[in-house]
Amino acid sequence: MIDVKNLSKSFGDHLVLNDISQHIDPGEKVVIIGPSGSGKSTFLRCLNLLEIPTQGTITFQGTVITDPKVKIDQVRQQMGMVFQHFNLFPNMTIRKNITLAPVRTGLMKQEEADAQADTLLQRVGLTDKADAYPSQLSGGQKQRVAIVRALAMKPQLMLFDEPTSALDPEMVGEVLDVMKELARDGMTMVVVTHEMGFAREVGSRVLFMADGLVLEEGAPEAVFGSPKHPRLQDFLSKVL
Amino acid sequence: MFQSLTDWLIRIGPRLQRAFIEGDRWKLYLQGLGTTLELTVIALIFGVLLGLVVAVIRSAHDQQRLGRKRNPPLEILNVLCQIYTTVIRGTPMLVQLFIWTFVIFPAQRNKVLVAFIGLGVNSGAYVAEIIRGGLMSVDAGQSEAGRSLGLGYFDTMRFIVIPQAFKNILPSLGNEFITLFKDTSLAQAIGGAEMLYYASTIGGRTFDYMPPLIGIAVMYLSVVIIFTWLQGKLERRLRESDRR
Repeated sequence: MIDVKNLSKSFGDHLVLNDISQHIDPGEKVVIIGPSGSGKSTFLRCLNLLEIPTQGTITFQGTVITDPKVKIDQVRQQMGMVFQHFNLFPNMTIRKNITLAPVRTGLMKQEEADAQADTLLQRVGLTDKADAYPSQLSGGQKQRVAIVRALAMKPQLMLFDEPTSALDPEMVGEVLDVMKELARDGMTMVVVTHEMGFAREVGSRVLFMADGLVLEEGAPEAVFGSPKHPRLQDFLSKVL
Repeated sequence: MFQSLTDWLIRIGPRLQRAFIEGDRWKLYLQGLGTTLELTVIALIFGVLLGLVVAVIRSAHDQQRLGRKRNPPLEILNVLCQIYTTVIRGTPMLVQLFIWTFVIFPAQRNKVLVAFIGLGVNSGAYVAEIIRGGLMSVDAGQSEAGRSLGLGYFDTMRFIVIPQAFKNILPSLGNEFITLFKDTSLAQAIGGAEMLYYASTIGGRTFDYMPPLIGIAVMYLSVVIIFTWLQGKLERRLRESDRR
């Protein structure tokens, strides 16, 4: 589904990603863990070109999306993204937040998008919030709406950038539940997170990143059960 | 003391009569007010359009990521915009109006038209900076969210960034409107027939400047008060989405 070759990214002189190659198959749930500043968010943001890689290629469903000639908006329509700080549009109602992109990109008509929004909101238990504004919602509700907003584009792949890091502890569960359900439905997911429980339970593969490199990867049982790299052992001893 | 005050009060009636009523002079003030408002509104629309273009170019330029290939046309446009705002904001409005009138359009008889251009071009530079500040005040995550959904740059600006920026800049934009409204009086110096023009003409003809000048001062003030009130109402309406 997505193939990353020799990906490097630097901000000025600072090398954030150092020659990363990865392949993600359809249906995989890849969880990226690592200390802050390790480049995991930058890696995720390179996948939908919110950050332009300095070097390397990214191929998504057969298209080399790092090619400057590729229409990036069309590629992004197939990749949903959920942000740490939700980034709902405060000037629109929840329904409008969800329907804006599908309608403007010509994916569906307004009525169709409205109906879809209602169905999706029902799935996350927020039907009664359709006409509310984001400022009237709690953090957990905002993040569930943000997930729904991304899903409204019917993406092939969902990217999650620390989706629970800005939440009050009691709201983490409701967001993770939505993500678990999405995983059960077979969505391909790439998740940057500090929720080790989620990584262990949902992840089909865990990547440990530090200093712009993937230092260790494998099934959650292996990564958490018998970590090999000293940096990973050190990291896990601090977070578990 | 008391005597002179009563004398003054007795004489004020005929003075007002001469300044405002004789020969239907009040119509001239209204005509002047019409031109003043026209000048303000058209110059502001012109200024906002010009300012929006300049602001979008400037912020599109500033948002270019480090280490990415430079976009030459955008570089040139950005430099032009910078020269424009620097020159216009760095020279007096009256000097600019004189340059438009006597240097650039010396043959143009319609001085109000020249004033439209002079005021609009001037306002554009200020509005550009106001809008640029507004665009920068919107969190970068907002446009990232829009772009990540597959919306294009212009849709993201139009539906997400600009509406939020607009709410943030409304107070400064209202301020600019008030400044511009009062600055239209400078058009008098190039012969534009606005409020001050009529007031000073009437003052000269009746040999009595006090009533017409105080009269138009009150008119300017009333318009500003009404406008400030309307602006407050609009701001409250736009804050609706902030209610909790």
